[in-house]
Amino acid sequence: ILHSRPLHTTHQRSAPLPPLPEKGGEVRHGLIPEEFFQFLYPKTGVTGPYMLGTGLLLYLLSKEIYVINHETVAAACILSIIIYGIKKYGADVAAFADKLNEEKIAKMAAVKNEAIKDLETAIEEEKKEQWRVEGRRFLFDAKRNNIAMLLEANYRERLLMVYNEVKKRLDYQVAMQNLKRQKEQDHMIQWVEKNVIQSITPQQQKESIAKCILDLKALSKSAQAAV
Amino acid sequence: MNLSFFDQFASPSLMGIPLIIIATMFPTLLLIPQDNRWINNRLSTIQSWLLHMITKQLMIPLNKKGHKWSLILMSLMTLLLTINLLGLLPYTFTPTTQLSMNMALAFPLWMATLLTGLRNQPSISLGHLLPEGTPTPLIPALILIETTSLLIRPLALGVRLTANLTAGHLLIQLISTATVALLPIMPTVSILTSLILLLLTILEIAVAMIQAYVFVLLLSLYLQENI
Repeated sequence: ILHSRPLHTTHQRSAPLPPLPEKGGEVRHGLIPEEFFQFLYPKTGVTGPYMLGTGLLLYLLSKEIYVINHETVAAACILSIIIYGIKKYGADVAAFADKLNEEKIAKMAAVKNEAIKDLETAIEEEKKEQWRVEGRRFLFDAKRNNIAMLLEANYRERLLMVYNEVKKRLDYQVAMQNLKRQKEQDHMIQWVEKNVIQSITPQQQKESIAKCILDLKALSKSAQAAV
Repeated sequence: MNLSFFDQFASPSLMGIPLIIIATMFPTLLLIPQDNRWINNRLSTIQSWLLHMITKQLMIPLNKKGHKWSLILMSLMTLLLTINLLGLLPYTFTPTTQLSMNMALAFPLWMATLLTGLRNQPSISLGHLLPEGTPTPLIPALILIETTSLLIRPLALGVRLTANLTAGHLLIQLISTATVALLPIMPTVSILTSLILLLLTILEIAVAMIQAYVFVLLLSLYLQENI
């Protein structure tokens, strides 16, 4: 609710709010606006307003329009206290008010700066991501090579397995044949031996043993001679 | 015209038109209404900072329901503060020196706290009539005493404010009259008296602010008990 413009004397609008002036109006002696002195300056010069003030005061006092009584003393006291207070603490209070406003602005500025910094960091990150995207194809090539190698290795492995399996089958057949021949041979040898041993009669045995002994004796004679 | 010391407390009127309403409302018009700006000028900033600080101080002990009272308590505080401080200027009328006005402020507000307490939490409100840990034989007497103290609260509130301000104003009048009367006779004693007046004025400024604060503080305390 704006109470400051109750009468519609200008085309003032509520929004946007008109900006506040940087500094307050200039006053002299804390009470009288500077514009009053400027207003009287063309006619009465620099001392004009002061003459006016003195004259007014003297008029009021002499005609006893303003009566000096006990209230004057009380007025003097309270006014001197007020003026002393303003002169001593005025600047500090103004600085405090300025500080309050500065803190408000600084808080908002801090928020804004934080947001700006965050966005800038985000931009940097994004740029890095874009650079990474360019190098993507190297990554894909490497992966492709990798996969090709894996496939090749797998293929060779299976080839080897096939070869081994076939060789195993063939070896088996060869071994089977060898075994069969071996068995046949052994069987025949055994049969021949068995029959030969069966055919040796006891008479033949005695004759061969005597012949062997005669041969040995002849050999022993010749052997003795050699020594 | 011969003024007695009590003419300053007479209800002001201009040519038969009573000015009491203007006298009571005018002090608050000196404060700047809140503009919905983000950054204000120095005076508005300090005013709103002061108001926030006092509101926080007074309203923190209250629970959430009590915060509904913050507007009336703060506006009461502002009214009393401005009325009291402006009354220190010469030839001004201070409405708070009138018992009628202070009772009109204190009685309804106190009654509101009492009725709120009795309506919403009757047993707790009545329980405040007996302090904890009293020996059993003393209970009837203590209840009577506490009831008396409860019923005398609005009277105390109103009379406290009236008495403080009236006494202060009267003292200022008396001592300044003494200063003015002694001035032709014994100027040095007159100066001493004026020094006393200076100190008294400082005290009166303090009293003006403290009395306003105490009024509202006590009301908030009564509210704390009852809400």
